[in-house]
Amino acid sequence: MSTDKIIPSEIIREFNAPRQLVFDAWTQVKHLNNWMFPMAGCKCEFVSANIIDGGTSLHKVTMPNGHEMWLYTKYEKVVAPEKLVFLQYFSNKNGDIVPMPHIPNWPRDMFATLLFEELSDDKTKLTFLWEPRNPTPEELQAFESTRSEHGNGWGAGMEQLNSYLESL
Amino acid sequence: MPRLKTTHDIFSAIGEPKRRVLIEQLALKEMTVNELVDIVKWSQPTVSKHLSVLKKVRIVSERKEGRYRFYRIQPEELRPIQEWMHQLEKYWGSTMDQLDNYLNLIQVKGTDSEH
Repeated sequence: MSTDKIIPSEIIREFNAPRQLVFDAWTQVKHLNNWMFPMAGCKCEFVSANIIDGGTSLHKVTMPNGHEMWLYTKYEKVVAPEKLVFLQYFSNKNGDIVPMPHIPNWPRDMFATLLFEELSDDKTKLTFLWEPRNPTPEELQAFESTRSEHGNGWGAGMEQLNSYLESL
Repeated sequence: MPRLKTTHDIFSAIGEPKRRVLIEQLALKEMTVNELVDIVKWSQPTVSKHLSVLKKVRIVSERKEGRYRFYRIQPEELRPIQEWMHQLEKYWGSTMDQLDNYLNLIQVKGTDSEH
């Protein structure tokens, strides 16, 4: 049921690692190449990475069946060790943005906000929020203010709507 | 294919936080503009402006009854959003599993004095 929420706009995870290390894992290529893929047997290769405010990166994920996926990322905010905001796009190997190959209705942009919270010396809470859009700075601000007011921005009405969708 | 364009517009339409608030409210029940204004406390033009965007992408439909116009959600139009979210959740959920494994691995290697 929870995996079928209409707008599950956040994933919250706890990691048994210091906050700085978790942040580094998201922002340093020597770490990223080792884990940034959705299943064991994949390979990840960052061909360029300038992970700073306004910077970009380009990486390739090779699936176990050999299928290659290129992802181009624009970093809006890189605030060590607490916050990372980026837009990610499907691209080709040159970093040109392309529509999602097999899912034509998939929007080109994924706007993600990651918040790193220190729970103890070796425990870190990561909140991963995403939005289907390409925000302007104004929208970004609106988004953040809504978030603090309404939790993850989507309330009880969405639960209701989801129940309805389930019943269709 | 007009379908493709419309679907893409839905994503932009719900990208605006105010419109999501309207969707949430209308998901609970059908309402007039004035009823919405009472609940969300924004100006009537603001509510109308956002409603018209939602109407354009067919997330919201309009029904006239006498002097009143009632607005309601067309939930089936939100399906592409649900699918998109679901796929991203699966993708990133699995990717976070990889991160978890990796963090455990490098810490065991680096600081095995704890054990």
